[in-house]
Amino acid sequence: MTWFHAARARLRLLARRDAESRIDEEIRFHIEMETQRLVREQSLPHDEAQRRALATFGGVQQHREALREGRGTAWFNGMSLDLKLGARMLVKYPALTVVGGLAMAFGIWFGAVTFHMAGLVTSPKLPLPDGDRIVKIQNWDAKTLKEEKRVLYDYQFWRTARSITDVGAYRNASVNLVGADRPAQPAVAAEITASAFRIAPERPLLGRVLDESDERAGAPAVVLLGHDVWTTRFDSDPQIVGRNVQLGDRFVTVVGVMPDGYAFPVAHELWLPLRTDVAGVEPRRGAEITVFGRLASGTTLENAQAELQSLGRRLAAEHPATHATLQPHVIHYAKFGMESIDASVMMALTYVFLVAFVMMVCSTVALLLFARAAARETEILVRSALGASRRRIVAQLFAEALVLAGLAAMIGLLAAQGTLTRWGAPYLELNYGRLPFWYDFDLSLRTIVCALSLAVISAVVAGVMPARKITRGLGTQLRAGTAGGGVSFGGIWTAVIVAQIALTVSLPSVVMLARSEVNRIASFDAGFPTPEFLAVTLGIDGPLQETLTDQARIALDARFRDALESLRQRVEAEPGVTGVTFVDRLPGESHVYWRLHEVTVPETKARWVTTATIHPSYFDVLQAPMIEGRAFTSADLSPEARVVIVDQGFADRVAPGRNLLGHHVRLSIAEGADSNVVQLPWYEIVGVVKELGMQSAASARRVAGVYLPFVPGSQRSVKMIVHGRGNPLAMAPRVRELAMGVDAALQLDQVMRLDQVVIPELWMHRVWMRIIIGLTAVALLLSLSGIYAVLAYTVARRTREIGVRVALGAGPRRVITSIFRRPLIQVSLGVIGGGVIIAVAAIGVQNSARFSGTGTGGLTLGDIPLLLGYTILMFGVCTLACVVPTLRALRVQPTEAMRAE
Amino acid sequence: MPPRQQTDALRGSLDLLILKTLSLSPMHGWGISQRVQQLSKGVLEVNQGSLYPALQRLEKEGLVTSDWDTSDNNRRARYYKLTATGRRALGVELENWRRFAAGLESVLAVS
Repeated sequence: MTWFHAARARLRLLARRDAESRIDEEIRFHIEMETQRLVREQSLPHDEAQRRALATFGGVQQHREALREGRGTAWFNGMSLDLKLGARMLVKYPALTVVGGLAMAFGIWFGAVTFHMAGLVTSPKLPLPDGDRIVKIQNWDAKTLKEEKRVLYDYQFWRTARSITDVGAYRNASVNLVGADRPAQPAVAAEITASAFRIAPERPLLGRVLDESDERAGAPAVVLLGHDVWTTRFDSDPQIVGRNVQLGDRFVTVVGVMPDGYAFPVAHELWLPLRTDVAGVEPRRGAEITVFGRLASGTTLENAQAELQSLGRRLAAEHPATHATLQPHVIHYAKFGMESIDASVMMALTYVFLVAFVMMVCSTVALLLFARAAARETEILVRSALGASRRRIVAQLFAEALVLAGLAAMIGLLAAQGTLTRWGAPYLELNYGRLPFWYDFDLSLRTIVCALSLAVISAVVAGVMPARKITRGLGTQLRAGTAGGGVSFGGIWTAVIVAQIALTVSLPSVVMLARSEVNRIASFDAGFPTPEFLAVTLGIDGPLQETLTDQARIALDARFRDALESLRQRVEAEPGVTGVTFVDRLPGESHVYWRLHEVTVPETKARWVTTATIHPSYFDVLQAPMIEGRAFTSADLSPEARVVIVDQGFADRVAPGRNLLGHHVRLSIAEGADSNVVQLPWYEIVGVVKELGMQSAASARRVAGVYLPFVPGSQRSVKMIVHGRGNPLAMAPRVRELAMGVDAALQLDQVMRLDQVVIPELWMHRVWMRIIIGLTAVALLLSLSGIYAVLAYTVARRTREIGVRVALGAGPRRVITSIFRRPLIQVSLGVIGGGVIIAVAAIGVQNSARFSGTGTGGLTLGDIPLLLGYTILMFGVCTLACVVPTLRALRVQPTEAMRAE
Repeated sequence: MPPRQQTDALRGSLDLLILKTLSLSPMHGWGISQRVQQLSKGVLEVNQGSLYPALQRLEKEGLVTSDWDTSDNNRRARYYKLTATGRRALGVELENWRRFAAGLESVLAVS
């Protein structure tokens, strides 16, 4: 048990506060006992007795120190002294503090943001009770390697699983919600089973949550509102519970309001009961639903997986036609089909990358600290002579770097928090729509720990590496009685500086590229005055029950078609409106690519073309007259008509200089085998029109566009374009009102001016541009300070030599040449390297531009003098970093230089 | 447990005195110093301040253990107690000391 007693004693002694108070109390007790003895045995007055007791005890402070040292915490006191000294050094060398601190902060900022974003995707954490036990059940089709979401039939079986409790399901349903005195607007709703509120329990703000009775056939239609919907659409009406609200064309009773932030199952703002006991549901038919549940207590994911698989096998045996290739899988709820990727491996790889990145950034800081430590070599030698071990000196320099890194970590983490909330969340939203409720952009403990560990690594790289180098051979130097001569910059640091200068020189060309992209997107020309048009995305509510049968689907399509036509007529009848039309993709949005297999023009090859389906009025409303031929007519809407209109891009790229009218094309949505091509129908080209933005505004390539006639009702979502006099956005409320009057189930979404299509693309490119500008600034700062550090160090080391040279009559030119050579070579190499990178990138961009058929590459000829000018400027700026040390060298007086030794 | 390193005579003797005193009964620091003085009839006077670092060292080595208790005059005091290992170590140290003293004595006895 010795080890136990010893370990317990050591642990207790390490608990600093406990140990300190114990020492104090023991000493106090000892002195008091001795005082009492002296009073008792020698009849001394108390004060005198106490004085003698203290004298007998010896120096209290000294013994206390001995006890502390015995506890093994003396290093702690030493460290705290080093840290204090480090803080003082930061104040003493402000330039180094600012440059080194910023570089480290940049590394830590980048690390924290990357780590946090990677963590959100690869290892999400559900902020729910037992979050890691909540699972999804998916049916995977081994044949198509896709998830089969029509699992309403399987769901009834899965509910019998013993290893998963509270099995429930939801289905996304975008519904048109009519607010208090407001026109209808779509809301992201979930038709969901009541078990959801056991999986994600939350007390409602008002009323109640959904329960099983709401799901029964014939139960009154009810809705549970989210906090946002309640505040923005119903003015936070406290009497809302029990009221009837209009959802599309039906009325439902509000049963409750959920508190702010509740968005289960993903990012929902409204909940409706999901009826899963639909009679007559067939295997692999019906609506697409997502099934969730909670692992029963004592069950593992593997157990649940095994049970579900055996259920799956049973279903496969009973329904071989539909279920032979289906296999149920149980995965963690917050994961999106990423089960095959081991999250911990991903995170580890991310971390390794970040460590490498931080080490790279900090190598310059190491250079700066090295130069400073080298300048303090005499001090270090004296400390060593006074008995400080090499370890002790390295620890001191490490502590100095640690203080700097601590400061940098604070700044880096604050900046990371700002970046995540300001740019991280909007960036993901732009790419992936509404974000799941478990995406938390507040820095997690994991991220903070990662950032702090990066700070420690920074301190090791920036502090320990130079310290080890400078303290190497201290003993020899001490014996030789000289300072200096032993330390020099290695090839690695030269390489680092050269690489940084190359980066600094080349990054601005990337900024220019990004800027030209931004300008190009901002000035996207769709071929007609887009700011005069209003664009609206239209859809229609499709409840679960109605989507079950083909008849119901046909009825809904017909209803949508009638609603669209009726809306078109009503909007067109409005004063000030000059035209209304429909299209599946707005100009400037990315379009659907089709394969053009054949054209009846000789010597044409198969290629990809972009397509849009348009209403016959499209070109009229966009005021784009036909170049040749005619526009679509209502007769072309018949499926047998088989006619297309092509744009000028098509004419130029597919058959330049030929008249395409009357020729035929064979098109299909997928590539398809050659043998199938002959079965494809021929479409006749009846017109040629100017180019009207048939590609994403961000895409630089010129496309070949094909227009197909739009058959109303054939698609569940279309874009309506309205042209009128005055501000198009002023028409929006009236359009909403009219839509409500036509059919309450009509959903109006993304109501905007047509030129606003490019805003998301523009935003993303601007974010990227800012990041690159930030990178350039940091690279510039680092390379300048690196050059400065090397030169300052060189001058400091060669003071004596310079003094001797000057004493022997060397002129300033010679002195400058001798110390300037090295940085000059580094700067030249860096600038040349940067130039090469620009040239290679420019050639690459030109080639890819030629490949994609765009007329312009990223860099124009006009940019070249600009870049050349910048390179010269960079050369000048880098040289400027040499000025201060050079002047210092020139001021060296021979007498002083000799005395310095 | 690895064998204790040979300590210099002074430190060794202080450890020995502490271990021996504690083998009689658990005791607080001041009590140990008084007991040593008393048993040696005033010949040996323990440097009171250096007693505590020695106690701490012995505790870290697992030879003694300590706990708060109430003293005779009803004060809270830290009482030290010998562990089983400490008792064995005392035997070894005693043996060492006797050998050392005998050696010393033989050297000094040569006239």
